Amino acid sequence: MSGDDLNPAAVPQPVEDRQGDGRWMSQHTRFMQECKDGEPEVLFVGDSMVQLMKQYEIWKEMFSPLHALNFGLAGDTTCNVLWRLQNGELENIRPKVVVLWVGTNNHDHTAEQVAGGIVAIAQLLTNRLPKAKIVVLGLLPRGEQPNPLREKNAAVNRLLRSWLPRLGQTLFLDVSNEFIHSDGTISSQDMFDYLHLTPAGYNTLAKPLSDLLLQILEETPEERRASLV
Amino acid sequence: MSAEASNPAATPTPCEDSQGDGRWMSQHVRFVSECKEREPDVVFVGDSLVQLMHQFGIWRQLFSPLHCLNFGIGGDATQHVLWRLSNGELDNISPKVVVLWVGTNNHGHTAEQIAGGIMEIVQLIHNKLPNAHTLVLGVLPRGRVPNPLRERNAEVNKLVQDALSSLSHASFFNVDPGFVLSDGSISHQDMYDYLHLTAHGYQAEKLRWYTKH
Repeated sequence: MSGDDLNPAAVPQPVEDRQGDGRWMSQHTRFMQECKDGEPEVLFVGDSMVQLMKQYEIWKEMFSPLHALNFGLAGDTTCNVLWRLQNGELENIRPKVVVLWVGTNNHDHTAEQVAGGIVAIAQLLTNRLPKAKIVVLGLLPRGEQPNPLREKNAAVNRLLRSWLPRLGQTLFLDVSNEFIHSDGTISSQDMFDYLHLTPAGYNTLAKPLSDLLLQILEETPEERRASLV
Repeated sequence: MSAEASNPAATPTPCEDSQGDGRWMSQHVRFVSECKEREPDVVFVGDSLVQLMHQFGIWRQLFSPLHCLNFGIGGDATQHVLWRLSNGELDNISPKVVVLWVGTNNHGHTAEQIAGGIMEIVQLIHNKLPNAHTLVLGVLPRGRVPNPLRERNAEVNKLVQDALSSLSHASFFNVDPGFVLSDGSISHQDMYDYLHLTAHGYQAEKLRWYTKH
């Protein structure tokens, strides 16, 4: 595994305000405030794949009831997520599970670097939250037809599958195969722009993810019995 | 309005595939084939604010999916929409209305250039579809607090509204129900990232449609 200081995908970095309306920092600030206001059991963190999930009904139906916070930020790379988590988005909260979904936007990095960046984030999370389980979601395929980014994301997933078990406390969930049809295409019914999921696309992911989260949250039967009293 | 050659916002330009998965062209090709297969009464054209609109169930109540097409692509600026409409996305169809919502992604362009780009699109639509009415939606404010992009977008709206007032085949519609609150802020309940609308934000906007029609 590449050392952190040699891996650019594992270097924390905020996003520069190039457009002029400071939206990235505004969202980060809001997430820090949510850490003060809430006591989440589940924390979702990542890029637009995470952020968009909260805009659809599926969030209210399946994940809100688990007392989940959503710190997804569109466009984020592993560097940006690492920076956010080191700069306030883990303060005052002790979730039982963290769902991490990031890596598809790391355009300047190789598959090895991206996987290394994801592992670095998982490592940070287990250091800060020693009792939490980390669920890493596999990068989904993208593009209507087979293309280099699909190969890259699949390579990242293969590396994660072999590297993550060394961390302990970490689980890997990959539903990539559900989205590629027999002719190799991805349907716009699942990904309206061949990257971002439609409500139907999220349903494919939500069921196995929700099952996994419920399983993890039920792993502390004493606490669950106590909370029912 | 600036001449086409000197206004980058009014020069048809396809999006380069800088990421490597050809998604922009895939979406354009899909839209062109939808023009061959369908007979829409309404076509929506623009950027992510158009594209995301149809992912939220509330809009299915307003426009039946059988009679409207959505040609929004996230990230598109006026010059990209101009290219798409010049290259097949208005062919083989005769909608009654084209709804155009674009301009917020024209980074690096002045308000005058952006307005010029929008008017160039309006002219193109009229040339290709002389019987269609074009409804140009105002560009929404953005950012959590007041910032230069809000000023730019407001100026674009002013210029476009003026330019459209003399046309019979096109009109301006302000869909902003008051997203900017009294303290100058925009709420994340309306725009989850201070740019894109939540379901609640689209709902508030939908009410503006009902009061207009």
